[in-house]
Amino acid sequence: MKLNKYRKKSPWILHYNAGGCNGCDIEILACLGPKYDIERFGMINSGNPKQADIMLVTGPVTKRSRERLVDIYSQMPEPKVVVACGSCTCTGGVFRGMYNCEGGVDQYIPVDVYVPGCGCRPEQIIAGVVEALAKLEQKTKDIEKSIRLDRSPQINNGQMDRREIAVEIAPGKVFG
Amino acid sequence: MDKRKMIVHSTHAFLGIVHFISLWFALAILITGGDFILVIFLHLLSTAVIILAGFSTHSIFSHLGANRTAISILAYEPVLVIIAISAFMLTGSFDISALYASEVPPLYKMPLAFIALLLILPVKLKKSPFDVGEAHQEVVGGVELEYSGIFYEAIYTAKWLDYVFCYLLVFLFGGSNIWLGLILVVLTFIYINALDNSTARVSYKQMLRFCLWVALPLAFANLLLTMFNIL
Ligand code: SF4
Repeated sequence: MKLNKYRKKSPWILHYNAGGCNGCDIEILACLGPKYDIERFGMINSGNPKQADIMLVTGPVTKRSRERLVDIYSQMPEPKVVVACGSCTCTGGVFRGMYNCEGGVDQYIPVDVYVPGCGCRPEQIIAGVVEALAKLEQKTKDIEKSIRLDRSPQINNGQMDRREIAVEIAPGKVFG
Repeated sequence: MDKRKMIVHSTHAFLGIVHFISLWFALAILITGGDFILVIFLHLLSTAVIILAGFSTHSIFSHLGANRTAISILAYEPVLVIIAISAFMLTGSFDISALYASEVPPLYKMPLAFIALLLILPVKLKKSPFDVGEAHQEVVGGVELEYSGIFYEAIYTAKWLDYVFCYLLVFLFGGSNIWLGLILVVLTFIYINALDNSTARVSYKQMLRFCLWVALPLAFANLLLTMFNIL
């Protein structure tokens, strides 16, 4: 059975606030509300990391929330993408240099799409999620690639040598 | 490549699949007109299995969902059994095919049972006034919280099978008159959605009190009416 086709059409979203001012959260809720209504595309805001495909993070990562951020990220099954919503999520924004946060989600988890703006407009969020969907598809294919090798490993002196193949499947290429 | 599945432990995943399969069996027997009690039993079995799965993990939210689902069983199951007994009093057998074949639609013979069914349907379908089981994410996700990947797909499909099951129960009240049955299904569908969108959630105690003090006596009154052949 292939879940793949259906997942592309209805990605489930996990929303986590890592200590932002709630401005971007309200914009995300506006996306889910009747005016922008991204639920018509099948995007459901699920509160459960185990069933989500896209993680929407808002807020600079405060020292209190970073453990939970990494925890939630690691609970999501592969393939997954992370969308950083808002300036403070991308770079620290207005909170940059403050004593309680370290500016930017990408210091802790790999981010795939950066959505700028303080707070980011719902149109931008939707565009970011659509971009994330393309990335999700690419990642899905990459996972397959890492399993099906094009070349078989060479044998040197009776020893299997996978080094050349390992160069081709660089970690950046496979998971991010 | 599919979404990776994170299995908590094998029993948990297996119980999810059993939930799915037993619901299929319940639906198949309901469609082919088998034994009403067996249908109710299989449906109860599927829910009991998913509750067991909820309790088999260490997640507290899974436990919470399992507890609340168990409470909702307590609310709707007695009513369902009494409706089945009323159908027995009406047709003289527990076979659903007798209901499908009855010339006078069972709706006219047991209207109170239909009202009782309408009152417990939101509990079964997890719709708004009585959606204690998962509370629209507010208790995170109910019993199916720990499922992911293909096992969650089974659970999710089972949820839609449950819808088919409930609307088939409504369809039964049309008897041999298919059009009446279809109209009942459409009206019930509109009623359930209107109710879901216009009411606020009640606490599980209020739900239990409502179901056991309003829906259950209604079903029981209907049983007496059918027993003494008043309607
Ligand atoms: S980007 Fe601006 S509006 Fe959004 S959470 Fe950060 S500070 Fe608030």
